[in-house]
Amino acid sequence: MEHAERDVFERGLRHAVEAHTGAGLDAALAELGWPDALVEDTQEAVSVFFGLQGSALASSSALDRVLACSIGLDVPPPAGFVLPPLGRWTPPAALDGARLVVRGLGTQSLLGGGDAVVVAQAVNTELAFCVPTAELTLRPVHGMDPGLGLVEVHGTVPKDALAPEVVAPSWSSAVTLAQLAVGYELVGAARAMLELARQHALARVQFGQPIARFQAVRHRLAETLVGIEAAEGVLDAAWEDGSPVTAAVAKALAGRGARTASRHCQQVLAGIGFTTEHEFHRYAKRVLVLDELFGASRSLTRELGQDLVSGRRMPAFAPL
Amino acid sequence: MELDEFRSSLDDWLDQNEHLLKGEHEAAETLDDQMAQLARVKRLTYDAGYMRWGWPERVGGLGGSSLLRAYLGEALTFRGLVEPGIYSMTEVLAPTMIDYATPELAATMVPRLLRGDETWCQGFSEPGTGSNLAALSCRATRTDGGWSVTGQKVWTSLAQYAQRCVLLTRTGASDSAHRGITALFVDMDSAGIEVRPIETMHGFPEFSEVFFDGVLVPLDRTLGQEGQGWSVAMDLLPYERSTALWHRAAYLQQRLAGLLRAAPAGALDPADVGEVAQLLFALRARSRSTQRRLASGERLGPETSIDKVLVATAEQAVFDLVADGLSVSVGTGDDPASGRWRREFLYSRAATIYGGTAEIQRNIIARRLLDLGADR
Repeated sequence: MEHAERDVFERGLRHAVEAHTGAGLDAALAELGWPDALVEDTQEAVSVFFGLQGSALASSSALDRVLACSIGLDVPPPAGFVLPPLGRWTPPAALDGARLVVRGLGTQSLLGGGDAVVVAQAVNTELAFCVPTAELTLRPVHGMDPGLGLVEVHGTVPKDALAPEVVAPSWSSAVTLAQLAVGYELVGAARAMLELARQHALARVQFGQPIARFQAVRHRLAETLVGIEAAEGVLDAAWEDGSPVTAAVAKALAGRGARTASRHCQQVLAGIGFTTEHEFHRYAKRVLVLDELFGASRSLTRELGQDLVSGRRMPAFAPL
Repeated sequence: MELDEFRSSLDDWLDQNEHLLKGEHEAAETLDDQMAQLARVKRLTYDAGYMRWGWPERVGGLGGSSLLRAYLGEALTFRGLVEPGIYSMTEVLAPTMIDYATPELAATMVPRLLRGDETWCQGFSEPGTGSNLAALSCRATRTDGGWSVTGQKVWTSLAQYAQRCVLLTRTGASDSAHRGITALFVDMDSAGIEVRPIETMHGFPEFSEVFFDGVLVPLDRTLGQEGQGWSVAMDLLPYERSTALWHRAAYLQQRLAGLLRAAPAGALDPADVGEVAQLLFALRARSRSTQRRLASGERLGPETSIDKVLVATAEQAVFDLVADGLSVSVGTGDDPASGRWRREFLYSRAATIYGGTAEIQRNIIARRLLDLGADR
């Protein structure tokens, strides 16, 4: 994307996430041509949009689109894409004999009727099925963050009631792209929290001076920025090597960075940040759930460590 | 010369000349060994041309992008041929000379540094001037044809080996802070200089106290203009946090790989290993983008404090993991490999102190990147 084109693209998206959320945002994205941009310039479409969605606390079905794009499916809306359950990054379904057993999450698009794409783990391969959502049990999730608009999905569907599998997808590349998307969303939310805390530190006066003067406050906010920049650096680098390992590292750093941001910013905001009169609490809840989506920082970190310890080598990474 | 061409040519050359480059010492056991090894490697790589790429032709270089230098240091570090801390003085001090010395002086001196014929040191810190560099008091007064320097420096890395010193002096009034500082290029064999190496907890006397008593420095050894010393120092710091830092990242990656090979089964907690590895990913990704900005001619600034926080954090995290995973070796081992792990662990404790403490870096981030205003 050219520089000027990118600016226009970003302005349009910024306006969309600030004005809409949920189905309204999906409609605005379609109008802005974001689904086409996703195919033409995946990096730009994902990094810009999900960062903005995170900072505006908006929600959409954009993640469905990302997953469909990554496995080469062009599914027309309103079909959704079943995501793994919270904390997992394995396919959300398994083939159990002649039955498809589904357990996962979805975005609000699943509630619109139509078919959902379900990727299932079969022997040595993964298969994608189009499953009518009427065959599945759907529960709109309230939970920690109702604004996220998640839907819990489960069900057991006889395989012969389904159309043959559509493609043999690469689940790994779907996870890679989803981890980057959620990673950018976490970074966007973390930057928004940092800005809220920064403004509060400059405005709040105690002992006759803004609390931004106090080194304990300054260092918490500096530490927050380091965590955010660390995550964003690896997110950006992940596009260059396309490696699932790098994407998982980026997601883990984004999750940890956002949780660190949440802890430090809440402390700086102090009392007001604990109330619903200030919007901080919505970010704190959002990043907690997003950290778990497609693998929590904690489990991704442990898995990486296990691979390194058993392989006894460090992968080459980020060549000049 | 493009980076890819340089990379494959250098890699081949390093493969073919490994025996020559390694010399007799597989692992240096003293700082003298490390210095001798550094001089050997610099001379061989200079004579083969590789050390000259990425430096301007007017100082004996062959031109080309600074990325070539970044890769050279990375490759030498990754193969364990040089210790990145002592190698980094080249990356930090050569650009200072190129930017601020007279063209004749730079053309004479920089090739000596690049070829390893000379060691240079950096006289910045003083007993009363740690984090608050602008308060330095080592005094230079004008005499016939030059300067007379009297005062004391401390934490001067490699001063006992150095032929030259890039020295910050006070030339303005004692309260002139950053305005009254002048940088000089001083011959370390001048009369009136006394060097006392400092014993450190890791066992290598890497830095010294340096005493100056009426040391005469010719006027043409002034770097930049009188009173411009603060700019010299500030322009030097981003080099510490760019190419030299990239080399250090390569070193940390190589040491973590070494730990993964050496640790007894079950000694490493996978969650800890994963977290440290992620830190190294973050450090390299960040430092690579800084390298690219430097190579494209961008002026580096306070954002490099993020790089510095990341490298210090990563270094201590890697060696905390060493202390856990190789606890017997670090605690009671007396073989050379154990000695090296122990020394490196102990040295890593300084990572959040030297080159601007972790606190100073966070102050810079708070003030310059987060715009939180002055802190006092």
